[in-house]
Amino acid sequence: MLTPENAVMAAFLACCAGAVLTLLTGRHKILSGWLAFLVTVIASGLVLYAAGQVLWFGPAHAVTYWTLPKYGFALRIYVDGLSAIFLGLISVTALTSTFYSIEYMAQDPCRTVRRYYPNLLLFIGAMDGIVCTTDTLFFFFIFWQLMTLTAFGLIRFDHTRPGNRRAANKYLVMMQIACALTLIGAICLATTSAVVGQETLPRYDFDTFSHYLPQLFQEKSLWVNFAFLMFLLGFGIKVGMWPFGPVWLPDAHPAAPSPVSALLSGVMIKTGIYGFMRYFIWLVPASSVTTYPNEEWGLVIAVLGTITLLLGTMEALRQDQTKRLLAYSSIGQMGYILLAIGACLSVIHSQPALAALAFFGGLFHTVNHGLFKSLLFLNAGSVAQATGTQDLNQLGGLFKYMRVTGCATLVGCLAIAGIPLFCGFASKWNIYVSVIQCGSSASFLPLCAVIAMANGALTLAVFVKFFGAAFLTRTSALVRQRAARQRLEVSWKMWLPKITLAALCLLLGLVPLAAWHWTQLALASSPQGLGPLLLTRTPIKDIGSSGFYALGGRAVYAPAMVLLILGLSLVLAFGISRLGGAAKRRVAPWLCGYAQEHATHQYGARNYYGVLRGYFQRLSRRPATPKRPPDSPSQAPPDA
Amino acid sequence: MRLFWIIISALSNMFTVLLLAPLLEGILRKLTAWVQSRQGPPLWQPYFDLLKLLGKEDLESGELPVVQQFSACLALAAPLTVAGLLPLGSSAPLQERADAILLIYLLVLCGGATLLAGLSAGSTYSLIGVSREMMTAITLEPLFVMAVVVGALNIHSFRLESVLDGSPYAAAHFPWSGLIMLGVLAFSLQAFVNRVPFDIGEAETEIMEGPLMEYSGPKLALFKYAQMVRLVIFAALFINLFLPLGNDWRFPLGLVVFWSKVMLLVAAITVIAATHARLRIDQAMRYFAGLAGISLVALVLAVCGF
Repeated sequence: MLTPENAVMAAFLACCAGAVLTLLTGRHKILSGWLAFLVTVIASGLVLYAAGQVLWFGPAHAVTYWTLPKYGFALRIYVDGLSAIFLGLISVTALTSTFYSIEYMAQDPCRTVRRYYPNLLLFIGAMDGIVCTTDTLFFFFIFWQLMTLTAFGLIRFDHTRPGNRRAANKYLVMMQIACALTLIGAICLATTSAVVGQETLPRYDFDTFSHYLPQLFQEKSLWVNFAFLMFLLGFGIKVGMWPFGPVWLPDAHPAAPSPVSALLSGVMIKTGIYGFMRYFIWLVPASSVTTYPNEEWGLVIAVLGTITLLLGTMEALRQDQTKRLLAYSSIGQMGYILLAIGACLSVIHSQPALAALAFFGGLFHTVNHGLFKSLLFLNAGSVAQATGTQDLNQLGGLFKYMRVTGCATLVGCLAIAGIPLFCGFASKWNIYVSVIQCGSSASFLPLCAVIAMANGALTLAVFVKFFGAAFLTRTSALVRQRAARQRLEVSWKMWLPKITLAALCLLLGLVPLAAWHWTQLALASSPQGLGPLLLTRTPIKDIGSSGFYALGGRAVYAPAMVLLILGLSLVLAFGISRLGGAAKRRVAPWLCGYAQEHATHQYGARNYYGVLRGYFQRLSRRPATPKRPPDSPSQAPPDA
Repeated sequence: MRLFWIIISALSNMFTVLLLAPLLEGILRKLTAWVQSRQGPPLWQPYFDLLKLLGKEDLESGELPVVQQFSACLALAAPLTVAGLLPLGSSAPLQERADAILLIYLLVLCGGATLLAGLSAGSTYSLIGVSREMMTAITLEPLFVMAVVVGALNIHSFRLESVLDGSPYAAAHFPWSGLIMLGVLAFSLQAFVNRVPFDIGEAETEIMEGPLMEYSGPKLALFKYAQMVRLVIFAALFINLFLPLGNDWRFPLGLVVFWSKVMLLVAAITVIAATHARLRIDQAMRYFAGLAGISLVALVLAVCGF
């Protein structure tokens, strides 16, 4: 019988088998690539089946595949609604990235892909495993290590560059520290085995923790809080939370090949978000919501999230390397999600409706960020492959040569900047509404919300620079030289995944209610912990024409209506511009009448926002770029 | 049927703004001339300017004419969309379909269109302008956000028609926060409407209108029109947020009161613009940072119920 648990196990085994197969065929890059894609299709199909099964028919029973009761060692898999959402995100991103890899790796100068596809498949399998295992010690460790070590191999795939080796080592060390911290947390909570329902569970099982937590908290509250602090730090390192994120994330993500960067930023750091949700919301039984210090933990997480989102975006503004800029902006976006989780925890007892809205905002933004950040990384990969550089100073005018990539990037940029009608706006809207209205019971939250909202303009600035410097402005010397030699636009094998992701971003932006319904289904099929508290309130009401009310009509978002009004105004504006029937003529740009345009007086990416960068530099006291950028051409750009 | 009325009232709002915006610009020019002891152009000059520009040759110097065309249309469409949401002396057209967060992000989109225009033109002066415009937007955004959030906190609602109805004063105790925000926004209104002393991104005498430098003919007409519409919508926003007295009076009276307040506000903006010199970008940013600090105090007060 193919229960959801069996399906996930089968997917994991398929990934392992695929790893062996691709190891054997590693010399044939294209064959290996298609094989890996086939395996990913099978695995993702199984995983999506499992997720769909859980969301529509409710969770099945946890299955123990292998156990050694003496050590509390058990391979116990359980797929509930929360896991299902993350499984869905992992599969979509894995499918697009693997498909993109086929052509990307075929064009890569490496001789063999033996170190690429096996690692990639195991990495995907390990992520599927880590969001489904209930063993918080042994199998958590095994899946975590599998995920970390394969990612380590992928980050140092191009190990001839010393920067990449250093980035990979740093990543490995940070992930081991994170792993150790989470394991210490788990050991702190472990007592003895428990009988839950009819099942005897080993002492390190998640459900055992949940079972004994109220008792343990009564006896040793400090001890339990220490364990939670360990989880906060461990998963905080994973998601790139301030102050740990900037240590490893901006080096590791750009070093990997682009499809892997998409997976790292799109889903791997989301396993940390999963950890936050799982341990802080699903571990505490609903009956002890009053005794447990949710408010305090909410405060800590929300404040850390606010600092993270502000500093991450500020750093991103100072970057000139495409993938490094995207990596820093990932830190910034993780801050939004942490803020939402923190707000949810702070008011889960006093105002469950607001908590549910904040949780929805956080989960929705997790999914959205997974989609648009992988989209942006894939585009950065195409740009890097077409031009051979990640340096924004040397790019320019690519839109003319890469129409599809340009349009896909534009969608990604608009989505991450939170422009209305795109998916980023829908999730941020939920976060802002809930976090501001939480003010009546947690007065620090409106301050966090204002910082987050003001950060919107900063995010826009980051992506104005990213998109503008690479795709708009004037054709740079490098791009002109490359375009003369070859066609710059990538083949359909590389743009199809991007179009898919861009379409998903648009779809979720126009129909955010679909995400809300999925969240409701996920909450309904995650019956443990504080999850049911979030379900019993329905803060969002469907009002037809694809709009919805939140908080009993006190906030409202109707994408269809906005689209209609904006469309009408666009038509009106276009009509006005055609009234005079003006003729068009192409001319050279005007430079005060005495100079011709020349590359030396072009305005490069390093010149953008000079004053502001100066202020931020003083704040962070770090040079904008490392001494040796991990993946940039060896020659220094000509300085103006 | 309901949808039909929403569209009709939104469209009527848009056309009202389109018709009145050049007139306000004309008043602004005339007043500036008086302040500077000049004769000044006739009141109807902005209408003639727009008509003339619409018929003039459209010179394309950028590499991406399609993007340039789109950004010119978006530059006018975004403020028009905002005009379609706002209550302009009558009730808001999208009564139950829009809230303040959408408004904030639509205003971001208004600025974004100019940036897109400058980037797709891509000349050096345009990019300097884009960079400055964006920096100003980054430091201005928090001020408007805080004014709206103070209002939303007071009335526990984001509905546009409730927030844009003097909500910053609706505190439980004496509205210190609302008064502080009134001061802060009054001192930054010039920047929201891109006028001297904060027209740093366009700076005609220095970087020749920055992002708009490469535009001519009908596209320039759209940008100029957008600039005028911006003046009206920010004046309307300010009045709805902070000076709502009399807006809800009976039909012709409310309308007259509202538009006279808009005229007075435009006159105030003009006088300040005509008597001041442009600031440098770093001076402006320090100024806005100071205002942001003050409005943070207002926000803390608002959270405490003042």
